Order: sequence, then structure tokens, then C-alpha cells
Amino acid sequence: MNARRFTFPLFPLAAAIWLGPWVAAADNFTDPPAPSLGVSTLSNGQRRVTFGPYPAGNIFRMLRKSSLGDPWLEDLTGAFSNLTWTAPAVASNVFHQLEVTPLSSNALLTTTVLSKLAYGPTPELLDRLATVGADVYIHEQLNPETIVERAATAAPAINSLMATFGSPTTVIPSGNNATGPGTADIHDLRAWLVLNAVNADRQLHEILTQFFENHFVTEFGKSANYFIGRQYGQSAPDRLAADFEWREVNRWRQVLLSTNGTFLDMLRISAESPAMIIYLDTYTSRANGANIPNENYSRELMELFTMGVDNGYDQGDITNMAPCWTGWTFEIVATNNAGNPFATQSTTQIAPGSLNPTAVTNLLGAWALNYRVNAHATYSKRIFAGKMVPARFGLPYTTKLYGGNITPGLYQLDIPARTGTNGFADGYDVVNHLASLPFTQEFISVKLCRLLVHDGFQIGYDFTDPALSEEGRLVKACMAAWENGNPKGQIRAILATIFNSSLFRGPGGNAHKVKTPLEFCVSAIRALRQSTNGTGAFGSFTAATDGYGVVYSSGARQVQGNNSPLMRQGGMSLFNRDAPDGYAEAGDNWVNAGALAERIRFVQTLLMAGSDTNKNDANTALLNNTTDPVSLVRKRLPLVADQKDAAKVADLFLGLLYPGEGRASLGVYRTIALDFLNTADDGIASSPFTNLTPSNAAGAAYDTRLRGLASMLLTLQRFQEQ
Amino acid sequence: MAYINVLSRRDFLSHTLRTGAALGLASLTQVPPFARRALAESGIGLNGKKLLFIFLRGANDALNSLIPIRDSSYSLVNRPNLFITSDAGTNYATTGPCDFPTGLSSTFSYADGIRSGNGFAALHPSLKFLAPVYNAGDLALIHRVGYPRQSRSHFDSQAYWETGEPNSSGREGIFYRTLVESGLPTSNPLSGVSIQSGLPTLLKGSQAALTNLSDPTRYDLLGLPHAAATGDRKAMNAILAAQPAKFGDKRSRTLLELQYQNMVSTLNLFATIDFTEAGNTFQDNGITDGAGSSAYSLFPTTNAKNGGGTLSKYVVDAGAYSFFEQLKGAALILNNTDAVIAGTEMTGFDTHNNQGGANGAGTFNSQHANLLTRVGWAIYALRKYFKTYNNKVDWNNLVVVTLTEFGRTSIQNTSNGTDHAEGGMMLVAGGGVKGYQKNGRPSGIYACHPTDSIPWVTGPAGSMFGVAGRYLQRAVDYRSVLGEIIRDHLGASTDQLGRIIPGYTTPGEHLQFGGVSSGDSTSILGELDVV
Repeated sequence: MNARRFTFPLFPLAAAIWLGPWVAAADNFTDPPAPSLGVSTLSNGQRRVTFGPYPAGNIFRMLRKSSLGDPWLEDLTGAFSNLTWTAPAVASNVFHQLEVTPLSSNALLTTTVLSKLAYGPTPELLDRLATVGADVYIHEQLNPETIVERAATAAPAINSLMATFGSPTTVIPSGNNATGPGTADIHDLRAWLVLNAVNADRQLHEILTQFFENHFVTEFGKSANYFIGRQYGQSAPDRLAADFEWREVNRWRQVLLSTNGTFLDMLRISAESPAMIIYLDTYTSRANGANIPNENYSRELMELFTMGVDNGYDQGDITNMAPCWTGWTFEIVATNNAGNPFATQSTTQIAPGSLNPTAVTNLLGAWALNYRVNAHATYSKRIFAGKMVPARFGLPYTTKLYGGNITPGLYQLDIPARTGTNGFADGYDVVNHLASLPFTQEFISVKLCRLLVHDGFQIGYDFTDPALSEEGRLVKACMAAWENGNPKGQIRAILATIFNSSLFRGPGGNAHKVKTPLEFCVSAIRALRQSTNGTGAFGSFTAATDGYGVVYSSGARQVQGNNSPLMRQGGMSLFNRDAPDGYAEAGDNWVNAGALAERIRFVQTLLMAGSDTNKNDANTALLNNTTDPVSLVRKRLPLVADQKDAAKVADLFLGLLYPGEGRASLGVYRTIALDFLNTADDGIASSPFTNLTPSNAAGAAYDTRLRGLASMLLTLQRFQEQ
Repeated sequence: MAYINVLSRRDFLSHTLRTGAALGLASLTQVPPFARRALAESGIGLNGKKLLFIFLRGANDALNSLIPIRDSSYSLVNRPNLFITSDAGTNYATTGPCDFPTGLSSTFSYADGIRSGNGFAALHPSLKFLAPVYNAGDLALIHRVGYPRQSRSHFDSQAYWETGEPNSSGREGIFYRTLVESGLPTSNPLSGVSIQSGLPTLLKGSQAALTNLSDPTRYDLLGLPHAAATGDRKAMNAILAAQPAKFGDKRSRTLLELQYQNMVSTLNLFATIDFTEAGNTFQDNGITDGAGSSAYSLFPTTNAKNGGGTLSKYVVDAGAYSFFEQLKGAALILNNTDAVIAGTEMTGFDTHNNQGGANGAGTFNSQHANLLTRVGWAIYALRKYFKTYNNKVDWNNLVVVTLTEFGRTSIQNTSNGTDHAEGGMMLVAGGGVKGYQKNGRPSGIYACHPTDSIPWVTGPAGSMFGVAGRYLQRAVDYRSVLGEIIRDHLGASTDQLGRIIPGYTTPGEHLQFGGVSSGDSTSILGELDVV
């Protein structure tokens, strides 16, 4: 025989046959191309087919037929190994075809949904969504008030932390040993946020809380410094500053729980928050007489909080808007005046006979939004003078009437001269107007799409272009949902638009983003977190945190939490960002060699047994992140024989940690996992897993093996994604 | 996926041991054509020259740093709370060396503008430690730096500085492109390094991973399990074994793959460098102002290592320690590895509110003055470090450059601060820098004098209000400064520079020889020949 006649004759195509619900193949991400194929003959005459990876590839099959008119039949003569198929020589020409079956659309959507509407899958949520389907979960999460929230059952500390948060009328105590409302510091607020992220049933509510808190970014440390500057002592500055953060986040959460909460509602809360008024310096800005107001808030309000950079405004608009905000400040007022922005400073003294009776530190009251008439620019203002909505927005935006304008498409904002307390209305006129503009609709929609789909959305689409990209079409649909609601700008309507989009639901929305440090830490805990007795009660989980273990480090007045995992992984200090753009969504801001090493170190401490001396990685708070992978295995694989079966254990963890990849894609990871299970701790000697006795006792070989396995798998590239 | 695959450390070592680096490189199949070409034409990384950058984030107030003290518009009227006073006994028109006011009771007790010696400008008193560097001829201070159609957004403008592409949506760093042109990232996993919370845009790009560490002392894995004899070998083996695993293409996967590869390739490169606090023993080689009988520590990371160790003798405020920890990391890496570009950032320059003027004697209470003490001491300390402790690079082969996104308003706001504006200031330092009395120059100050070819016009209709009647108008494009450094110091060819800074030789830009910028009809000086 002439060997050449038996070379592999033909691989016409890879049949990525996938009749999903999405349309329009915009790019290789939404409609993955067929894998590339290569054919070779080995020296022993065997033929080998090598092919490229396929997203979420679950099953490979090789099909063959002898002539073009025959049906395709599976060719079982060869064997798959990762991305190759090797078969013995055959005596005649045949046609072959590689068939890739990806994960089912529900399985894929499930992983998307649990990664975007939630801080990652838990074992129990994977089970539940496999049964009820991802759309049931989406519907629930869009209506969080209908979900019975059990987070405080799983983590009772949520309630005890809540008991230390104040209300707008709380007098914040200053003594270090004080307890009760108003005594929480920023670490407590951060721990509360993490506990909710880990435990909440209303996961999307938690995702959105952090999203808007980060969008309307403020800096705890700057508020605290303000109070230090006012001579507050002991714990008071930190508590007062933390209280400002709590109050705004609590108000946002109320809006998100109401069925028709709007972006304008959220924006107003931010504008009214003393944390923002300090952060961007509004409280010192004056424009009475010839004074030049501070431009900081006006610039960032348009650039970062509403319209997007250079999107429909210019420096002149910043300059003209700045005087509108003059007078917006905050003051310590009698508690019954906490809701009255025109109230005068409290006159009740804490210690009437003291040396400095009128110092703010000696006044009894609550710090609240306050309007200072004599700082305000009373003259009339014109912003966006003569500016027309650009043609790229199309209808209805180019012909709408904005504000009091009578020219269609003109979005000029005229604010009349106002004196006395009437001047306070300037700020509200500004935010009402900004929230109505297509620029704001576009930018906020883009940011939500970046959060929930992928990082590649930008402002500036030509929405009238017939060849508008799939991303542009989704933003346009979000804007339509914003525009067509009553009231306009309902957050749930925008979210529903995204969740119903083909882009979100298909491969183009799956696992294209890198987790932030917060998302990474919380998702690692959740991935291993199952209630061993099904009660969901505190203490029954196979992975847990007290919240502080993610955000806290001990030490003197650690405003940032310097040695906390979130700080080590790239400087994520919750409620406390110095730059007003908020922490990044895009992965390239988080992924670098040093930060990846810190992510790996965090996972390794998370999986270490409590007795491991390395678990306290220069931060004792890490000891409060606990895991018990053996109990997780026992729960999922009740038979002892299965618990000793390396393949079953490996497949269990691969399924829990990478539910969106598909079995066929995980070949290398599976090989590594099996190798890991069958190797001794030194990484050299063989140590068959089946010989180990299942035990979760600290130091037991089986326990160490599983801790190592879970840790190792959580440190690989694919777990960085969502 | 098409990308340059940075070699794993093991691959790299085996290649270099077997055939030498250049041959090993040529034998690699994944070296793209441009990188092979770069090896042939570039001096970058081969001429022994290195670069250290410090990005001053938030926009440093140039007018209160290099002060146009003889401009009548630099005044108490325009800057009532920020104004730096003139010393009644000093004639600021005098030319010569920069004053270095010493011998007073505390390190920073002099509160007036320091005569720079160019006959017009003065240094903020907190920049006094620039004086010894300046007088050695190793420092260029460049005023009125900007670019056409200046953005006043922090984030856009920082990006434009870092990409070298004003008003572009590109997000590929200028130093990243410099290193890619050098071909180094294909052979050396550690060619460009930042020591800060995240990789800056300066070093970002899609084809190769450059390195960021936030804390070099922690750059090591713990291991789980951790065996007595083999440490973290088992965990590390698994991570290494997983590197070649191929998955379907997704938007973040090239980034993750390259940065994982960079991590596993660089984890062991720092073992011989002592980054610890105990290892911070670097001291001045002489006695400077306020030091008494013992030399100052160069990198103030604790109170005891801060100047004379007591508040009145501090050289920086106590809030500066983390910055100097990072600066030390960048300096040690440049000095002890083959990295060519390293740097860090300093934040806090966005002084809208309560910016402050000069510090009072022996105090650190003015926001902006504190930041400037850090800048001044950083330059002073880097010079001494690379002159005294030089290993793989010395001061004569190093350039230190500061960047900042724009300058601030000429007139203060009612918050006693300044808002976003235009022209800013750059510092360029190094033994090879053409500063005071080098190459016959009477001054190391550029673009801050009424006799400049594009004069600094004084008064209410002058340069300080040259844009929109409010902002300092630029006379220098930052790309001219960086371009000159990349070509004449780091050794890029003219062709390479054209790729590193797109449009560098475009006629209308006038970046090289100066002229009227077609972007906004503003006259600029072109390259200043500072290196």
C-alpha cells in the first residue's frame, strides 16, 4: 500500500450546529467560528486530527461517511484526547466531520445569570436553576421585594451590624465604647456589604447596590478628615463619615426595592448626600458677588455621573453649572430638623458649661443636608446654551422638547434668578434636566451593559446607522426602555431589556469579563458554599466568612483596610475611592502579575485549615474565612466509594467551579485535577487518592488533598472570569 | 489568538543557556516580524539606558511649583490663599545657580519662593531639594506643557499622556510601545515594571504583558499544600501545567493568559533583591541641610528614616511613606534587574479645595506643599541612590521623568483651591540631562521666561490667561519631551519613534522642530534638547 493514499482525506467543516435564540452574528464572540482543523499522519501510520477550542464545548464526536451521498455516522475507531482525535489507518478514502455539541442554552444562560445577576454560583443555585430554568431566577431577581430574604438566617451578624447603623436623626456618639445606633465604623459597613453579597437571596439587589455605590462614588476618608478638622475626637469622625455612607446606600437600596425606582431617584440621593457634598467640595463653593465657584462637582456630575465624558457638554457648561450648586452644604441641626435643609445650626449644647460651648463638637444634633443662602449665586444661569441633540441619537430624541424649550431638540437649560431659599431649587433643576437627556440615557445604559454583558460598550454610537453593532442596538433598546416608561428611567425596565437581549443570553454575554477583587473573593466563597443540612442556618455551610475577612485588617485607624484582601488585590477600598471615576469594571485595571499573585494567596488562605500557620497571612482577619471541602464532597457524593474516586471528585469540583465551560473544554484542567489528587503533598511522589480515608479532620491526608485541589482550581485563569 | 507569548521562565533559561539570548530569540517561532526587526535596528534595552517615571495624578498646580514670580499676574489678588511670597532680600532677576536656602532652624523654614536663577521663575519652597540636583546640571524643569485641544477630564487627559495620543480613544501605553519596539518582552519577562496598585496605561497593551506589583515583599505564593521539603511546588506545578490549556476565545482571555504567564515567569526574579524595611539602608553620601552629623535616609519609609527623624527635620510628611516604599521598589528593580523602564505614581494633586500655599516652619500642614516636598525629595534621593548604590544602571544612564495630566487655573476658586486647566510642568532629571551649565546652558528651566522664543507674556493679558482668558497656554507638547527621551536617551530609531508616538513627525504637529500647531493654532517650541 502507498501510505499517501491513506492520508486523511477531508474535513469539510466543523459543524458547530447550534440553533440558539440569538440572531445576527456580530462577531466571533456572539457567534463562535468553527474550530480550525489540522490533519497529520503519525509515524506508526495512525492519523491524528488536531482542532482548536470551542467555547463551552461539551461533547466532541467524530463522524464519517464513505461517499458524499451517505449519511454521517459516528466514527468510533479513534479516541479523543483534549483537542486531538487519533485513529488507526484505514484502507480507503472517507469523509470526516467533527461535531461539537456545546452546553445547552439553559446551562449556558444559567452560568451567565449566576455570574452577572449574582456574585457567582453556589452549588445549591446550580441545582435549582438546572431544574427551574434561568428565566425563573431572572424574574425573581428583577422583583427582589417578592423574594423572602434569608441572609440574616445564614449570617445573623447582618442583624447585629444593622443595629449599629444610624438613621438620619441619630445623634452619633463619640465615646470609643459606645454601642447601639450610630456606632458603626466603615469596617462594619464593609463587612455588612460582604455578608450580604455572600448570603443574600436578593443577589441582583446586592450587585446593584455596589454598582450604584461605586457609580456615585464618594470617599469615606475625606469625610472623616472633615470631622477631624472640626476637632471631633475619639471614634466620632469615622462614625460620622461611615454614617454618611450608610445613609446614601440605604436610600439607594430603598429605591431599588420599589417597583418603579428611576435613575433620577438615585441621582437625587447622591446629590443630596453630605458624603458627595464633601467629596467634590461643594460645601466650600461660593458664587455670591464676584466669587468664583468650585467646578469640581459640576464637572464630574456630567462627566462621570450622568452624561459621560465630553458627551453633550463642554467647559463652558461646567463653568455655568458650577454656581447652581453653591450653597449646597451640610450642617449639624436639631434632630427634628434633619429633613429640613433650611434649618439653622443646632443650638442645644451637650455640655453647656464647657470651655468652647458653641463648637460643633459640643452641639447636640444630626448632620444633614443644608442650604446656605448667602453662598449662592442669585443671578440667572444658562447651561447648554443653544445646544441641540446630535443627529446620531435619531428619533424621538432629536425632535423632543427638553425642559422649557420650545425648539425641538434644543436642550438648553435656563434657570431664572432666584433669591433666598428659592435658590436651592437650582440643583434640582439641574439633576432633573440631566436625567432627561439622551446623553445620560446612553451613558448609564452603557455602564449597565458593561456591568452585565461585557466591557466593550462605549458612548458615541450612531443609533441611526442601519449597520449598528449588536452592542449599539442593545444600548438603543435600553434607552427606549428608559424613554417609554412612566415614570421615565425605571431601572428595572432597563435591566429587563438587557436580560432579554440575545447578546446577554448567548455566548457573547458569557464569561467575557474579569471579576473585580470584591467579585472574586465573594464568588470563591460562594462556589464552595453549601448548607450541609439544607437548613441554610448559620454554621451549616461548607464555606463562610464574617465579612471582615474580605475587607478588614487590624491596625491603628486603618481607613483603607491596607492588608485586607480587597486592598491587596489592587487597592479596592469600599466606600472610599479617591478618584471620582469609581472602581473599574474593565478587567485590564485589575489583572496584573502582582494582583494575580494576591488573588492566589487569598484563595490559598481561604482553603487552608484553621490550624494552618500560613492562614494568617499577616492579617488575622483572614482566619474568619473558613472552608470545609470534605463536607461539601460528602454532601454531593454520599457514597464513600465515590468520595474516594478521583474522577468523580475531580468532576464534582470542575462542575461547581466552571459550570460554563463544558466537559470537552475542561480536558486539561481535568487531567491536572486527577494528577493533583493522586500526588503527595511534595508534588513529586505518587499517592493514589483512592487509598486515602475520607476525613475532614485538620491535617488528615484526605482533607489536605481536597483543600489543595479546591484551592488549585480556584487559582486557575477560568475562575477569574464571569 | 495571535499574540506574543512571553516565554515561561524555564523556557527562557533553557534558551539562554543553550544558545545565548539573541540566538534563542531568533529560534522562537512566535516572535512576530516587527520584533525581529526591532532587534536589528534598536538600541532600546541594549545601550544601558533606563527610564524611571513618576505620574503625579490629579494634575499638579504648575503655577505654584515652578512659579512665574516676576509675572505681575502671579499675585495675591489672583491667589489670595495660595500665593507664594517673594523674599524681600532676594533679587529674582539675578541669574546663576538656584538658591538652596539652608542652615535655618528647621528643614523647611524658608517660606518664600526660591530664586531659580533664570532671572524670572522661582521654585516653591517645598521643592528646595531640587536645588542641589539643578545646580549639578542634572535637572530640567519644563513649564507650559500640554497638547492640542487639551481635555480637562482627569481620566481622558491621563490616558492621552499615557498613550502618547491626544484626543484618541486608543488605550495602548507609550512605554508599552517603546518596549514592544525593543523586542524585549519576547526575551525578558521583566522589561517594564510599575510598583503601584494596578498596571498603568503607560505599560498596557494587548500583545505583551508588562509587570505590576503593588508590594514586592509579598510577591510569592503561599502554596497549598505547603510541604517542608518542596514548599509550594505542588500548587505551582498545577498552575504551570494549566497554562497551555486552550479554551474558546473570549474578550478577557488574552489578557489573562499573558498576565498569568508574566506572573509565573517573574515570580522568582526578585528573590535576590531585599525589598524589606530592614533592607532599606540606603543613605545620602553626604550631609545635607538639617542633617546634623549623620546622613539622611534616601527613602523615607518610617519616621526614623524621615530626614533627621524629628518633625522639624523631616524631609517629607508622614503620609509620604507608602509612596517612597513604592519608589524604592521601582528604583531597586531598575538597579538590580534587566528591566528598562520602571516607575510609580503619586496621587492627591487634585487640589480643588484648601490647596494651601507654603508650609509654615517645621510643619506639614499644606496639602500641595506636602506633595511638593515628596517630589523634591524623590528627585534628590534618586540621584543619590543611583550615584551611590548603582549596580546595573547608574545616574548617568538614567532619566527620571514626571508626568501630570494638566495644570490648574491661574485664579483660585472660593474653596481656596484651583480647578482643572491647561499648561502643566514636567521634570526631567538624570546625569545626562542638559541642565544648568551643561552644554553651555545658562539655565535648566525651559519655557518659563519672557525672552523664550515663545515668550512668557506677563500681566493680565499674558500667558497665564492665554486660553479662554483663564488658563496657562501651552508652549511645549509633552510628546516632544517624551519623544526626545525615548529616541535620544533610550535609543529608539526615528522610525521606531514614529510608531511609539503615532504622528510624531506629522508636519502640522511640529513636535520635533516647533511651529504653529495645526490642532489649535498654538505656537509650540518642539523638542528642547534636554537629554
